[in-house]
Amino acid sequence: MSLRGCFAVPGGFDPIRSSGLPLGECWAVRKVKVDVAVNVGSPKRILIGKVGLDGHDRGAKFIVRALRNAGYEVIYTGIRRTPEQIVRTAVDEDVDVIGLSLLSGAHNELFARVAELLKEEGAGNIILFAGGTIPDKDIPHLKSLGFRWVFTPGFALSEILAALEEELAGREEERI
Amino acid sequence: MDTLIDKVRNGDRRSLAKAMSLVDRAGPQARALADRLRQSTGQVPWWGFTGPPGVGKSTLIDALLNMLRERGRRIGVVAVDPTSPMSDGALLGDRVRMMRHAVDQDVFIRSLATHHREGGLSDAALHCARLLELAGYDPVLIETVGVGQSEVDIASVADICVVMLGPGYGDDIQLIKAGLLEIADIVVVNKCDQPEANRLLKEIREELGEAKRRNVETPKRQNAKTPTAEHKTADGIGGPETLKRRNVVSSIALGGSHGFEAPPIEIVGIEAKSGRGVDTLLDKLLELDRAARRPDQCQHHNRRRLMGEISRGVMLTCEQNLNRALAAPATEELLTKLERGELSLDTVVAQLGVAFKP
Repeated sequence: MSLRGCFAVPGGFDPIRSSGLPLGECWAVRKVKVDVAVNVGSPKRILIGKVGLDGHDRGAKFIVRALRNAGYEVIYTGIRRTPEQIVRTAVDEDVDVIGLSLLSGAHNELFARVAELLKEEGAGNIILFAGGTIPDKDIPHLKSLGFRWVFTPGFALSEILAALEEELAGREEERI
Repeated sequence: MDTLIDKVRNGDRRSLAKAMSLVDRAGPQARALADRLRQSTGQVPWWGFTGPPGVGKSTLIDALLNMLRERGRRIGVVAVDPTSPMSDGALLGDRVRMMRHAVDQDVFIRSLATHHREGGLSDAALHCARLLELAGYDPVLIETVGVGQSEVDIASVADICVVMLGPGYGDDIQLIKAGLLEIADIVVVNKCDQPEANRLLKEIREELGEAKRRNVETPKRQNAKTPTAEHKTADGIGGPETLKRRNVVSSIALGGSHGFEAPPIEIVGIEAKSGRGVDTLLDKLLELDRAARRPDQCQHHNRRRLMGEISRGVMLTCEQNLNRALAAPATEELLTKLERGELSLDTVVAQLGVAFKP
């Protein structure tokens, strides 16, 4: 049962705290209009994962919660995954976006491998973004590989959510 | 649509994934595909896994995938997690425990959100299970959300129901309570490395053992609980009342009308993380799986599944009408009047109910 009817107030959404993240803030960026008759629209699916041997998942889990609060369906693949596992999961789950978190410094190699595998799978239209401790000088290279955004420490949550929403709200459903 | 179905049948993985997305979106295309799928499937048994949150469903499925792969099977998994009642978003966090199978060509795992469906599953879960069947995966495993005592949709959906419990489930009284335990073909107690779990295992054996003996010994009293004549369909399966109460009694009652006996409930203790006891469980699952392939059992399960779909389909239409009615401006007035005591709740409900036409 959707509780949204009980909590929605005219002109916005009650700010309900969910795991320390103001839900109202996450919901505020939503542009998608959902037919009131339908329980749920077609939420976009976002894979969040960590490649390589990096076990620091606090940041990734923060993003996962925020995306959930913003109305996305998040497939969390956990820590210490190979590029192959990430890409296979992304294709089988038919995700719209992949967000990779990495704090170990191996981003140039591992992110390149992910981008390469996605192209091989014919899944080049999945939006790619990255987060973590990535030096500014590496960002142009990652962008050339296909990473739309690189959210290093300092980006506000609202910026991240707005960027995703802007990109996804415009997308049409891919015809099969 | 035909091309898509052919591609799925021929093992095109990307088409399978895309088809699953199609059925997950409500709409006429999804319904058309769902209708075609119903015609082409129904021979492969579906194994359902349910139980409270955190009891170990995903971990068990991961262990079973391992063992089934060793036996050369190709397995499909549908794993459901709850949609947030606040945001419509979800964390689909079941497959994180099955990631070692992510690159196996003979395993396909799909995560779904409930989209506010109560009962433990989503509408798309059935369609995705059928797609997995079509693509040649056998068996198909379905994992519900973490359930409480009364979300039992899996009973009408799966051929075999595994109900998992763990330490902290409660005492002997808890085990007699209605709901979850009644739908099980196999009860699995997980985390048997803990003494609490072993106590629970012992109590379950006593409680469910009791129920088994009671039902077998008093066939006359069973018949008193079977559906009345006006509920029965031509083949004796009965109406929605029977389906809601897929319990030990009605299983045996239905079995009686078809000339076969429902097997007794199996009770198994395991430790899913280490895999201890899972081979015993798998043997019992494969036994039930073999029985479920008999044509009469197959048809029985299929019809039960379709009945559940009809029931949920009608409810969905009612829900959509309700959503529209609640969103209308007139409802705001009714709410205020109710608040002030100017109208009774019955009147408000009746006035909203005017909009209802299933």
